[in-house]
Amino acid sequence: MKLPLYFLAVGGGTLIQSTVVPVLGFWGVVPDFPVVLVVLLALRRGPEVGCVIGFALGLAQDVIAGGPLGLQALSKGVIGFVAGELPRWCLLSNPLVPVTAAVVATVADGALRFAVLQLFHYPAAFGELLGSVILPQAAYNGVLAAVLVALPAVRVRA
Amino acid sequence: MLELWVRYRKYSRLLLVLLASFSLLTLQQARPEGQWLTEAVAAVTAPVQAGFARIHRRALGLWTTYLEWKALRADAERLRAEVTALRFRQLRQDELDAENERLRALLALRERLAVRTIGAEVVAREWNGFTRGLTINRGRTDGLERLAPVIVTRGVVGRVMELRRESAVIQLVTDPASSIGGVVNRTRAQGLVEGVAGGRLRLKVAAREEGVTVGDLVFTSGIGGLFPKGLPLGRIVRVHPPTNLFRIADLEPAVDLATVEEVLILPRGGAGDLGDAFSGA
Repeated sequence: MKLPLYFLAVGGGTLIQSTVVPVLGFWGVVPDFPVVLVVLLALRRGPEVGCVIGFALGLAQDVIAGGPLGLQALSKGVIGFVAGELPRWCLLSNPLVPVTAAVVATVADGALRFAVLQLFHYPAAFGELLGSVILPQAAYNGVLAAVLVALPAVRVRA
Repeated sequence: MLELWVRYRKYSRLLLVLLASFSLLTLQQARPEGQWLTEAVAAVTAPVQAGFARIHRRALGLWTTYLEWKALRADAERLRAEVTALRFRQLRQDELDAENERLRALLALRERLAVRTIGAEVVAREWNGFTRGLTINRGRTDGLERLAPVIVTRGVVGRVMELRRESAVIQLVTDPASSIGGVVNRTRAQGLVEGVAGGRLRLKVAAREEGVTVGDLVFTSGIGGLFPKGLPLGRIVRVHPPTNLFRIADLEPAVDLATVEEVLILPRGGAGDLGDAFSGA
């Protein structure tokens, strides 16, 4: 029953990220919409769905972005799993949970990707990456998550 | 084994995802040329992406056009407001320039006249068909006298007819009740310049004065003692055939009385010949 919805989430999320999101950039900072999508889905559907959807979205991003295949699949699969575990400790009715989760997940996604990229001798320093890419993107993702959570359709499901 | 898989389903999925990811990363490292998965996914996503890009470009184009139109509209409104403000300022400037010019001319005339004059501003007009008058902002307290001549740079305006404490009413030369002694400058023919209903002037001279022609200038004659000699009254525009005693000529007033805004009031009588002050009129 949920399968078409998941396909739609993966396909739509990938296309939105590659077509619409680049236009939403401010001062060079572009949100990572799939991270927000994975977190929101995982919070509602649990770690299994979060993990698989994260993997699929990440893989699609890997394909489109042209980076090491499996890199974002791994990071997003992991954050999807962890986000899916959050309802065991947090109240989903609290709107701050998905927002904070999106921010933390973006930082975790970035850190994880950086860690894996070390296998490929990625040249940039983590501090530089954190300050100029990961944290601004995390903030933007937090705003994006807040906007999505504020949407009635998303709120009812929470 | 299956039981374990079912029991730890969520962890097993995570494990699967991790294994798949690492496998992909590893395989990629081993055979960078064999990107079959990338090729396959790209074959599906590329056309959709191209479609989205087209839509996005069009949407962006529309949006840009809308923004440009909005900016142009704002510019147009701003410029329109600026033009209105500038026109208003220009009108005001023109008005001030005209007033300045009039006052300068009046001041120069005042200096040329060599008699004590009082300057006044027109504050009201009475333009009905029966009487023609102006109200000025000077009166008894300013030393004005009844019947004192009122002039501007181009000639005679009228005389002070009604004197109040701080204002006065001037009877214009074109008022039907006005009558001033005049002289035709070229022929020195003497006569009376009277106001005519409708805002014109007429000169009444003796029928024997045959030399009066169109274009002759008429000045005050000084006869009667109220108006000094030599003040411009008007120019003859038409000469009527003589009647029994008089020859009548229509005059165009020397002063455009409809536009008078500042005047000079002369002392009543005894100012002598002021013709030199108006030699350029």
